[in-house]
Amino acid sequence: MTSTQGALDVATRMGAVLMLVAIVLVFGVLTPGFLAPDSLANTVKQSSFIGIAAVGMVFVLLTAGIDLSVGSVMFLGSLVAGLVMRDAGAGVGLALLACLATGAILGAINAVLIVGLRVIPFIVTLSTLFLYRGFGTWLTESRQLDFPDEVRSFGLASVGGIPVPILIFAAVALLAHVILRHTAFGRHVYAFGNDPLAAAKAGLPVRRIQATVYVVSGTLAALAGFVLISQIGRLDAGFGEGREFDVIAAAVLGGASLFGGIGGAGSAVLGALTIQAVKAGLVFSGVNLYLQPLLQGAVILLAVFLDGLREARLRSLRRRVIRPRTA
Amino acid sequence: MTAMLTQPVPATPAARPLRRTLARALLSDWFVLWLTLAYFLILLPVLPTLGTPANLANLLSNAWPLLVVALGQTFVMTIGGIDLSQGAVIGLTSTLGAALIATAGPPEVLSKAPIWGLLIFEDGGVLAGQLWLGLLAMLLAGALVGLVNGTLVAWLDMPAFMVTLVSLITVGAFAIWLTQSENIRNLPDSYVALGKGEIVSVYIGPKEEPQIPRRQVHELVTYAALVAVTLAVALHLLLERTAFGRQVLAVGANRRAAEIAGVPVRRIIVLVFVLSSLCATVGAVLYSARLEAGRPTLGEGTFLLDVIGATVIGGTSLFGGKGKVLWTVFGVLFFVLLSNSLNLMNLSTFHIDMVKGGVILAAALLDVARTRLLRGMA
Amino acid sequence: MTALLRFEGLGKDWFGVPAVRDLSLDIPEGRVLGLIGENGAGKSTLMNMIGGITAPTHGRMLWRGQPYAPASAADARAAGIAFIHQELNLFTNLTVAENLFIDGFPRRPGLLRPFIDRRAMRDRAAEVLARLALDLPPERTLDSLSPGERQLVEIARALHHDAALIIFDEPTTSLTPRETDRLFQAIEGLRAAGKTVIYISHILADVQRLSDGIAVLRDGRLVGEGPVADFDIPRMIRTMIGRDLAAVYPSRTAPPRGRPVLEVQGLSAPGVIEDVSLTVREGEILGLFGLMGSGRSELARILMGLDPAMRGDARLLGHPLRGGPRDRIRQGLAFVTENRREEGLMMDASIRDNLTLPAIERLRGPLGLDADRIADTAQALRETVRLKAQDLARQPVRSLSGGNQQKVVIGKWLPTEPRLFILDEPTRGVDVGARSEIYGLMDRLAAEGAGLLVISSELDELMGLCDRISVMSRGEVVATFDRARFDERRIIASAFRQAEGDAA
Repeated sequence: MTSTQGALDVATRMGAVLMLVAIVLVFGVLTPGFLAPDSLANTVKQSSFIGIAAVGMVFVLLTAGIDLSVGSVMFLGSLVAGLVMRDAGAGVGLALLACLATGAILGAINAVLIVGLRVIPFIVTLSTLFLYRGFGTWLTESRQLDFPDEVRSFGLASVGGIPVPILIFAAVALLAHVILRHTAFGRHVYAFGNDPLAAAKAGLPVRRIQATVYVVSGTLAALAGFVLISQIGRLDAGFGEGREFDVIAAAVLGGASLFGGIGGAGSAVLGALTIQAVKAGLVFSGVNLYLQPLLQGAVILLAVFLDGLREARLRSLRRRVIRPRTA
Repeated sequence: MTAMLTQPVPATPAARPLRRTLARALLSDWFVLWLTLAYFLILLPVLPTLGTPANLANLLSNAWPLLVVALGQTFVMTIGGIDLSQGAVIGLTSTLGAALIATAGPPEVLSKAPIWGLLIFEDGGVLAGQLWLGLLAMLLAGALVGLVNGTLVAWLDMPAFMVTLVSLITVGAFAIWLTQSENIRNLPDSYVALGKGEIVSVYIGPKEEPQIPRRQVHELVTYAALVAVTLAVALHLLLERTAFGRQVLAVGANRRAAEIAGVPVRRIIVLVFVLSSLCATVGAVLYSARLEAGRPTLGEGTFLLDVIGATVIGGTSLFGGKGKVLWTVFGVLFFVLLSNSLNLMNLSTFHIDMVKGGVILAAALLDVARTRLLRGMA
Repeated sequence: MTALLRFEGLGKDWFGVPAVRDLSLDIPEGRVLGLIGENGAGKSTLMNMIGGITAPTHGRMLWRGQPYAPASAADARAAGIAFIHQELNLFTNLTVAENLFIDGFPRRPGLLRPFIDRRAMRDRAAEVLARLALDLPPERTLDSLSPGERQLVEIARALHHDAALIIFDEPTTSLTPRETDRLFQAIEGLRAAGKTVIYISHILADVQRLSDGIAVLRDGRLVGEGPVADFDIPRMIRTMIGRDLAAVYPSRTAPPRGRPVLEVQGLSAPGVIEDVSLTVREGEILGLFGLMGSGRSELARILMGLDPAMRGDARLLGHPLRGGPRDRIRQGLAFVTENRREEGLMMDASIRDNLTLPAIERLRGPLGLDADRIADTAQALRETVRLKAQDLARQPVRSLSGGNQQKVVIGKWLPTEPRLFILDEPTRGVDVGARSEIYGLMDRLAAEGAGLLVISSELDELMGLCDRISVMSRGEVVATFDRARFDERRIIASAFRQAEGDAA
């Protein structure tokens, strides 16, 4: 193995961590306020919203799919929660349940279109991105929806000094980690992403695997929406709009591959922290508000680029060898 | 024996005629045009305003710029890619072009913008009033974005949707940053004429006598129409009648076979993305001229839906290898008619977006069905 | 001794053409059966019937005395049959242990039942690996293993599934001698454990070393069977070939002229080909024979500029070959690939579009493409290659028979006026009638002065067609024979030479 390949291996494997460390260091040096405990804690707290949805996205990416509808699912899920509370007088628990159920149903619709009708994930979720948002806006008639105070007291609470959003994010990431690492379903997701044909030949329930990841992604996107809404307490028509990009970016930045089979719950955590650190850092260092998405885009492009290099290398490793080097 | 193998394998006798008819309708070049006309005729009794000359003129004026942009998308989809960044290119080039040729720059609006004092001053842009130089600069900027997209896709084998998603965000952000989200007005008349100017108008109805003699004016042949039709004809010829066009189809049909047959696959991919951005730039001229302003957010949001929807419903395959300019012309007509009719029904924009999302989905399903039909018949 | 698997008059027709006919054979339990035959002798079809991929059209199979008619690969697996191919069905992003247990993970007890019992999985994996005397850590991910180690993991998976019959199909093609030794030890271990093995290979010395009994297929029939002691390698080869050369080959109409078209000197690419030198003259057809995976197709790809070479030199009419396929086509190369569907044709595009693609840039008129010239070119090509098609402009290539598809693949190169054709398995999947037409076409190309480099796994095809045959083995050209000295046995022996040398 040549040294450039070795360096590339290290870069792709550790890339996510290195990038996060570098970003924290750079912004830490540039802007002293960035490293203050309060602001660091705040960064972590704010990353939980994107992070929860990114965990779901990792499931989808592991199967070499994509879910562009997460932003709209966040919106519609939170909206249903709000309506249940406003019109049916439900409590926070029931509202959360309704929100999750909505997310699961929306994810299931994606799954049926992708697995059942064999339309490519990208187009399905691009369409449902608009369908779901349109449906939600029709429900609200484009008006804001204010949530009762109990929701905010839930979202702003903390247990043992740790804010609830961080707790939820941690629980979701941990659960996802356990499922992906330690259950048959989790390992099947990896197997499917590595080689769908071989997975089918090995007798794995490939259709169910592929469908489930979209349900997971929908459910977690809805949960992410609820976590954010419980902090701000008000839902407007633009809620969650464009967030799919942050969510995909977080998963890929954290090391999940767009080509499937690589990544984990840790990718979502790392990626969400990185995205949020970049955002916070840019705010702290007073970079022009309009310039910030540009810099974020550059960071993401780098991650996608590294992902492409890694995939090209894996492909070259799979090529047939005629004259094996004698040991 | 050999003769039997060259014939299509017959389906079961009962299923055959129905399936044949269905297949022929679905696979016809004119399918979407018939669909559009049927939709129009069915709605007309319910929605009489749809057929008024004023509405038809409006419908056409909406179709031209969309057609221009969708033509570029058709080429990208024909090679099996997708270009999500066209809207951002429209934002960037319309802003840039407007800044360069504006005849005045109001400091109270633009003094905070990074381009202030660089590209645009109080007495106008650096190319104030010079229409052709301004257009050239816009096309160069557009081509540059396409070049970057194409290079990343062709040489680094990155997925097209991801590359163009990133450029959608970054190029869009860059455009907004340029003016700090302000629109640029004070465009020269020669530029505005491109979007509004009429060449041939139709005068319909009785003279309205009361005070001033006046007839209703309906623009028929506008500069926008001229530009769009010229471009459509040119791109049709490019795709159907040149080696380049045949090679574009070959790259989409089977990239490996194309490479072995000597098609310069990577060059074709780069050129197609450049073409797509250039079409978006021409679209930017038409849109911003009609708006009489350069606007960084011009192509944002659901505009993407219109372009992809019109292209896919026309019949260009998402899987590559199949695309025709004529299909996209019909697809654009259908899509514009659809939006227009939904508007006339007083539906909110959100409903319209929903319907458009559904139409894209239906178009994708149609694409899957067509592909299976073709395979089934072979 | 009971037969684990028995074939009774088994046969399979493809569109009336028999691939396997009237095959009756007992496979005794606990033995290793070596199955040999040339490419196209019916081995793959037989294996596909056992594996539930295709159903027999005649006869039946008995498994442990019961009728056995698998409808899918899953049925075969459930019965206790496992396949080890050269292409592995493994997941490179998972660990060795996970690959072994992918369709049935050990679970934790009680309430933790949803979770995989990683310790049990590791222990049981270690146990299975130990049975094969493999010292692989169960927790290693597969992408860090060599091809040979991965193959052993696949065997371990079969063992773990308690397969009673394990079928090896050319398992050693990408293994080093040391890895091959380990594989053989593993197979010995399987036999010792009472498993039944079918071992299919072109490497006859390996077959001889491993097997208890030998079965030989030729043209879909069982032509020889018996204990290994009765089969020395020369007899194996005799039994495999013994057939008449069919009269489908053209008598070469013109002798090769003098000037070399292609000259290759010391061409090497690490891991693929080594020090390859050969010459093709004007009007000459040079055959390139070798076993699957001997580097023939890889050499063709390198010559075409699709893959890089590290050292050496290739010249066309004295000019060094440079650049990618596009440049080399301009220099006068044409390449008929071994996979029509993946690399040769645009299946859903029209015949005309396919026929005119390589030369499309030459078909320009003053205003873009000249539609008349395109139609004329396609029409002329249809006649030249005797294509049986109705509508060149509308009929998709997909609707043609294999033979006619292949005529399109060859015909599309003619307008670029190539000086050297590289044809990789030009008659694969082509019926006999179309075959002789394709041979005739190749003969005419040579007669018109082009050089032809023909790669084939079918020796009698090369012997019927070529002026000379070069033999490749393990990425090297090991021998070259002139037409006057063609000797089937010597050619096959030299294709096996290296392998025999390794085994000795």
